[in-house]
Amino acid sequence: MKLGFYILVLIWLQPGAVDYTKFSHSTPKHKSACITCHKIPTKDWTKASAFPDIVDYPDHNACVSCHRPQFFRGARPPICSVCHVKTSPRDEARLAFRNPASKLQFTIEFPHDRHQDVIALRHANPWRSRLLAHAAPQQNFNNCTICHAPAAAVSTPPAGGWLDAYAPPAATFKAAPSDHSSCFSCHWKSQEPVATNCNGCHKLATPYVAAAIPARISLKFMHDGGGEKKQHVAECTTCHINITKSATSRGLKPDVPITACTECHNKDGLRQDLNTELAALDKNRAFTCVYCHTSNVGKLDAPASHFLIAQRPQFKRR
Amino acid sequence: MNRLLLVLIPLLLTLPIGISHSQTQDATTRQSGVVRLRARVKLSDSAPLRGLARKRFFLIPGSLEQNRALVEAIERQPLVTRDCYYSKHGASPALIAWLKEADCESVYCRDVEQDYVAGPKAVPEFATAFAASEKEFGNAATARKWLTTNVPANLRDGFYRDRKSVIDALLKQAPAGAVQSVMTDRNGTAFFTDLAPGTYVITNLIPTELGQSLATWNCELQIKNDDLAAEKPYLISNRKDRLVKCVAIEKPAPPCQ
Repeated sequence: MKLGFYILVLIWLQPGAVDYTKFSHSTPKHKSACITCHKIPTKDWTKASAFPDIVDYPDHNACVSCHRPQFFRGARPPICSVCHVKTSPRDEARLAFRNPASKLQFTIEFPHDRHQDVIALRHANPWRSRLLAHAAPQQNFNNCTICHAPAAAVSTPPAGGWLDAYAPPAATFKAAPSDHSSCFSCHWKSQEPVATNCNGCHKLATPYVAAAIPARISLKFMHDGGGEKKQHVAECTTCHINITKSATSRGLKPDVPITACTECHNKDGLRQDLNTELAALDKNRAFTCVYCHTSNVGKLDAPASHFLIAQRPQFKRR
Repeated sequence: MNRLLLVLIPLLLTLPIGISHSQTQDATTRQSGVVRLRARVKLSDSAPLRGLARKRFFLIPGSLEQNRALVEAIERQPLVTRDCYYSKHGASPALIAWLKEADCESVYCRDVEQDYVAGPKAVPEFATAFAASEKEFGNAATARKWLTTNVPANLRDGFYRDRKSVIDALLKQAPAGAVQSVMTDRNGTAFFTDLAPGTYVITNLIPTELGQSLATWNCELQIKNDDLAAEKPYLISNRKDRLVKCVAIEKPAPPCQ
């Protein structure tokens, strides 16, 4: 038993046992200043980006200084596959940067509160107010739209397809910011954290796979929706009531109270969407709430908040 | 129905959409107090009452007496208005007017349109920054979008940073890690949530410019378990009224020296 353990340790300690096809920023020797390897902007960035950005892997120098033996190991050195499509000295083609098939190694640090303080626009453009008083207000209050924008394309379906075959339209989700363009336009060279200070925003984390679409309890809600009249025009912070106190994006929750919905969707003389579904559920405990939810949520017990706002006694399905 | 909603809203605010039944059971034992802040001000006696938009307020645990040192520090601090700050740092009248047009505190709060880069409405600081950006980035579109990267720091967001350093210094006198802050929306509304029962001081820490005067709010409020006192908004203003629970102390804006 003991012998087996020592053999395993020896195998593990063998240099060849290291998997050089995987690059980890957590490796102690990979924790130097980011610009040791990543040049900002990347050479020839204009070929791949509309703005100065990091659009490619570091040059060979970044690796060779320590990994020379791995570079010249055999005809197909495994280490090449970190960046290159083919592990062959005759093929220079590189994988997309960053490689979508690899796990994310960093989370983003973003203080909403500071950004809202510094970009706060205290009143809407007075000329717009006067000229377009009849028009629906835009969702750009608090200047959230400086960074956030609706998705332009429909999301890729998750593995196994969309639940209930409900494919959320493109405008369901906010897709921006998705790259450095929203950040570098201010944080390029003098506003800390600047572009070369990657660690100012990117914090090393346990590798993870990013969710294909954001988790949503009410998947059928659309930010730019509200029917043909597009009546979801409330100010972002009217519904997301805790955003302005958020000092980080970690653990950030939508924090949307049900009253944000029922002010219109359960109002006498206007709409009774919540009441209608709770009444149907009262009659048939197997009823699935579908107005806001897909069935994964709609078949659960309705939460207390829903009964409270609809002035109905709370009950469970069983 | 509407009246009932008013009563229920503060309670419901603590229950996010989709919260499970078992989670709501826990709600009775956790910090669940809510303050619906509503700030409405008059810029002059003849002006209409309007929501005070985009202002940050702070909720500090403890009574006014317990926070006396902090409140005194708030009242003692030197006051510099936005226009005065920018004048003192050499901003052009055109830049000051551009900021004032949308009540901006920094150059980040609105896009710099082409009209302000060149032509009769041009802001000199933007024209200079645009020229430098165009040279640096090689195209006009990026140069305009990234223009602020070439605006001097003091004129870019120095006013915000100055105020932030004052706030940070003041908050050192408050209980560590226990202060909540929120920014009002365009109607002057903001929510403090997840509050433990107790006494709090609501304050703006640094004075708010209201026309030619500066307003400071420092008031005490109570949060109780299952407190229905929050059924109506906690109204603050610079004008006394039977509904107003916290009236600002107003001082004339100091001359710019």
